[in-house]
Amino acid sequence: MDLRYTPAQDAFRSEARAWLEANVPAKPLPSFDTAEGFEQHRAWERRLYDGRWSAVSWPVEYGGRGADYLEWLIFEEEYYRADAPGRVNQNGIFLLGPTIMEVGTEAQRTRFLPAIASSEIVWAQAWSEPNAGSDLAAIRSTANRDGDDWILNGQKTWASRAAWADWCFGIFRSDPTAERQRGLTFVLVPLDSPGITVRPIAQLDGDTGFAEIFFDDVRVPRANTLGEEGKGWNVAMATAAFERGVSLRSPARFTEAAARLLDLWREVGDPDDTAMRDAVTDAWMQAEGYRLHTQMTVTGMLEGRPIGAEASMNKIFWSEMDVRIHELALQLLGPDAERTSGVNERWVDGFLFSLAGPIYAGTNEIQRNIIADRVLQLPKGT
Amino acid sequence: MRFSFGDDQLLLAAGLRELLARECTPAHVRAVWDGRTGHDPALWAKLAGMGVLGLLLPESDGGTGLDEVDAVLQWQELGRAAAPGPVLEHMAVAAPALRGTRFAAGLADGSLVATAAGFDASPYVAHAQIAHIVVTPDGVVPTAGARIVDIAGIDGGRLLSTLAEFRTEPVHFSDQLGFERGALATAAYLVGSGERMIELAAEHARVRQQFGKPIGSFQAVKHLLADALLKIEFAKPAVYRAAWSVAQREPTVARDVSMAKALAGEAAYRAGRSAMQVHGGIGYTWEADLQLWMKKTWALMRAWGDSPYHRRRVAEAVTA
Repeated sequence: MDLRYTPAQDAFRSEARAWLEANVPAKPLPSFDTAEGFEQHRAWERRLYDGRWSAVSWPVEYGGRGADYLEWLIFEEEYYRADAPGRVNQNGIFLLGPTIMEVGTEAQRTRFLPAIASSEIVWAQAWSEPNAGSDLAAIRSTANRDGDDWILNGQKTWASRAAWADWCFGIFRSDPTAERQRGLTFVLVPLDSPGITVRPIAQLDGDTGFAEIFFDDVRVPRANTLGEEGKGWNVAMATAAFERGVSLRSPARFTEAAARLLDLWREVGDPDDTAMRDAVTDAWMQAEGYRLHTQMTVTGMLEGRPIGAEASMNKIFWSEMDVRIHELALQLLGPDAERTSGVNERWVDGFLFSLAGPIYAGTNEIQRNIIADRVLQLPKGT
Repeated sequence: MRFSFGDDQLLLAAGLRELLARECTPAHVRAVWDGRTGHDPALWAKLAGMGVLGLLLPESDGGTGLDEVDAVLQWQELGRAAAPGPVLEHMAVAAPALRGTRFAAGLADGSLVATAAGFDASPYVAHAQIAHIVVTPDGVVPTAGARIVDIAGIDGGRLLSTLAEFRTEPVHFSDQLGFERGALATAAYLVGSGERMIELAAEHARVRQQFGKPIGSFQAVKHLLADALLKIEFAKPAVYRAAWSVAQREPTVARDVSMAKALAGEAAYRAGRSAMQVHGGIGYTWEADLQLWMKKTWALMRAWGDSPYHRRRVAEAVTA
């Protein structure tokens, strides 16, 4: 155990900090869930890519810097410290990209990874269906073989970023005789394909952050299959482990939010309100605890101990902490918490967004089942 | 930056786990309770033989010459076994404070049994009845000659008393980290205790059948234990970091130890509550082994500063 950063890690931090200070837009960009904001965020991603900061942990040949996970955590700390824009291509860079590296063909890596790193292609995730949410294996959308092509039919929903994205990655039933997790195939689909209808859905904040996608005899090459045909569930679960594990929500997001909460407490908190002071302190401890836990997880990955069902614990922990941090901020803001503009806007927006956390990427109830079944070895429910 | 334990540290912990699985079973702990000794001399000798008691003493004192990062998994293992007696006070507080003194050799080989008191707000002394010396912030108190008044306590592995008519021998302590080490060791022990209680509950939930199936197949039970485990798993890194901070004399040592103790105490308490609920009626019996860990947890979550005290100390560091 050595909790000090090495000189090389300090140098990496300095380099990231200097670049971000010189490049982060002075004025916050409009939400990437608006037409205008989406393209501005894509342009920001391009700038990150040109500086080789968009996907630091990727190999150099695909546009990254070959940074290890600890360096990635350092980069994230600097990114949030600089208050840099949200990552519009998170689906591509943090979910799909690592999956392509793991199970993709050489042709797919060459074709897609640089285009993801540069956000030439921004991705939507198309997994959930009207009747397949927590019960993801109930997927009904179909992929039928027609020579070298798939013919896709069905409906996906809650597809994040789909209103403006270029491509989606989806799971389709390719074997109509197979049930549940068997007979599914993971397919990459351009959203401008004939037969696709995207219907944006306004989120709780009013912006169109996700959408329904209707597939009506959509034709895509079978070469767009990621992983083996019929093994889409395994491919999806590989993605899910990354998502719930460390890459979706790095600790920096929460340590920064907790630091802002402490600032707010110093600014408006009543020093005699020890209950509130203790609650704010708890929020700081949770964020700090998540940071330490992630450092342990990442050290373990670097030492060859892959992340497993523990990823489900991370997901519950950060999503509930995020809600808690924002609840406390709104409590401190008092009557101003009702306002959706002004200095409070960020806390109100953040609160709304935090409420999605316990739901997306597998609800926290599903995560608890996973912990109980796989970590505590309890018998499967019926 | 490398936040993990080395092979040597993991081997030491595995060795201790093996020893405790043999020498500190629930039956052993119950015998200590029943005998009202609060201590198991046979186990003590084995711990001394393995070098556990003198872990934080230098080799020149007959110790193992290791530090708090090496010790933290040992404390966690002791908690997993609900080990009785003054082992934390002896190895984590008394031994490092008395490095290089005439007491050190006896502490390392276990012939001199030490406990510690007076570092927190408690008016009681734990383990004085079976200890030769009590380390206090003012020095060393020999128990021979002191008047020890028994106080009935919740944990049969931890005899309580008040001390009167004692004399304190001033000693030059090797450092002033007694309170931090006591709180750290207790936090690690609590994490181990909580982890074990969840395991006991999971074992029960796999076997106990109601409505024709194991109760562990019900989501209400799954989620109770998953949440309890979550708290333990997120307390662990805080405890390990605190061990590093003490070992390195980091300027944040008070904040880090307090964060560890606050989180560990609350996580272990929650683990006990959830484990008891999963056990159902049997969990409320004297017969169920769960109580050995629950009662130890109730005692230790308040010893060396309770969670409110430690949260306050964190608040002073981060909200100022």
